[in-house]
Amino acid sequence: MIERWALVSGLKGDLETYELIQRDLKKARGVTALFVLGDMVGPERNCDALLNRLQNPRRDELQPQCIYGWWEEQLLTEQGLRGQQKADALRLNQGQEAVTALLNAVDTYHLKWLSSLQFGFIELDCGLIHGSSADIGDNLTPETSPLILIDRLTRLDVNRLFTAHSTKQFHLELTGGGLDSQVKDLNGESQYQQKVSKQSIIGIGAGANYTIYDIGSDETHFLTVGGQYNTKGKGFA
Amino acid sequence: MKHAIISCLHANLAAVKAVLNDIDQKGISDITCLGDLVGYGPQPNEVVDLVRERDIASCQGCWDEDIIEGLNACECSYPSQLAEKRGHLAHEWTAEQLTDINKDFLASLPTSIRRDRILFVHGSPNSQHEYLLPDMNAFAALERVEKAGADTLFCGHTHQPYVRELKNGSIRVRLQNTSNHNAEEKEINLPMRKIVNAGSVGEPRHGSTNATYVIHDDVTGEVEIKEVAYDIGLTCQAIIDAGLPRIFAWRLSHGFEFAEQAEDASHVCER
Repeated sequence: MIERWALVSGLKGDLETYELIQRDLKKARGVTALFVLGDMVGPERNCDALLNRLQNPRRDELQPQCIYGWWEEQLLTEQGLRGQQKADALRLNQGQEAVTALLNAVDTYHLKWLSSLQFGFIELDCGLIHGSSADIGDNLTPETSPLILIDRLTRLDVNRLFTAHSTKQFHLELTGGGLDSQVKDLNGESQYQQKVSKQSIIGIGAGANYTIYDIGSDETHFLTVGGQYNTKGKGFA
Repeated sequence: MKHAIISCLHANLAAVKAVLNDIDQKGISDITCLGDLVGYGPQPNEVVDLVRERDIASCQGCWDEDIIEGLNACECSYPSQLAEKRGHLAHEWTAEQLTDINKDFLASLPTSIRRDRILFVHGSPNSQHEYLLPDMNAFAALERVEKAGADTLFCGHTHQPYVRELKNGSIRVRLQNTSNHNAEEKEINLPMRKIVNAGSVGEPRHGSTNATYVIHDDVTGEVEIKEVAYDIGLTCQAIIDAGLPRIFAWRLSHGFEFAEQAEDASHVCER
């Protein structure tokens, strides 16, 4: 039986795009789960309609499984629901106006639900996180040092890490290599070589760009709303 | 020039004096301390006074941080509730004993010291609470040193002295994205880097009762791990006289400490 996951992020209140993705997913074969990897809120538009839909999905839609992202973290922090600090990262990067716009974009009614969301999911041998195991704002891209990528995979003890914060769509596979480790202590010396495990980091995109992952074949398909679902054209094993 | 690196003194005055004496006898005047001056042991003020008197450059350890900031490490640093309870007792006792001057001194310590391409930290460049054990994933270990912009990283915290060379490394990757339908493949060669753990002066956990420290030759790059015997009975008696948990004396006299070793060594406390 075909089993595929749909992975979405960065909707930032855009219900229309979410509905288009849901419409696409109805046409795609074998999509059994929909993961929303955060950034459901943002300062650009009112997010209440999207948040209502995510919490109360229609019967004919895939039920979304959501985690929080960088924008949710900023919102919850500013509202005093995460630690003792304010949304300093957002304030520093985009100014007080963005903080105010974010607060205005989300009704406080949704804060309880948002604060109940998890940091990430572990499904099979895959980690699904907005940024990475190191930080919600960890910006993993194809240009990120492979050493950092291995570190992020190791921290979670997974073989595939699906990440969203960079907003990019990519599939970077670690295919080989090794590292010699020589340890000297008071008992003597030992040496071994650590091999690179076959592991992957997958950037799932944001907004209208989303990803479908085929569990059985380990293929990722990068899609854009309204685009043709094609198992050969953009499938990356 | 040779210089000595000490770590994890843990308020054990007899051990600290013995190690400093050993360093002095070797004619080494340049000493760096990687933190945890206090905690568990019975002479926190005496040890901090000595480090201040000798003007030893020091990083702040996790215990030093906790004494200043209040308990910052979550219970996940401890393998059991009993171990956590004992740790809290030691924290409260130490906080009561320390003078304001010595607390100010611990608060003033930096979390890292850099000398060109050499970095000195207590746990790891990420956190005073992270354990860099000798069998940690080699790539993750190399990432810690690389990210810190260092060639050699000196750390403590594990109480197990070692020198780890990471070399002859490479990683091959294959990249596909929406703009390239043909996969792009590349190989990255990794630099050689070194991690040196100085072990512990005041609470060794390497299987012997002796205090440990390391000597680094910055010309040859050579590192020697040194063991120093000291009067353990003196410290054990002081632990009991101070009313600290007797198990602290027991584990010091046995040389290997089971009770407070974290189960998940790579865990970083984020509380």
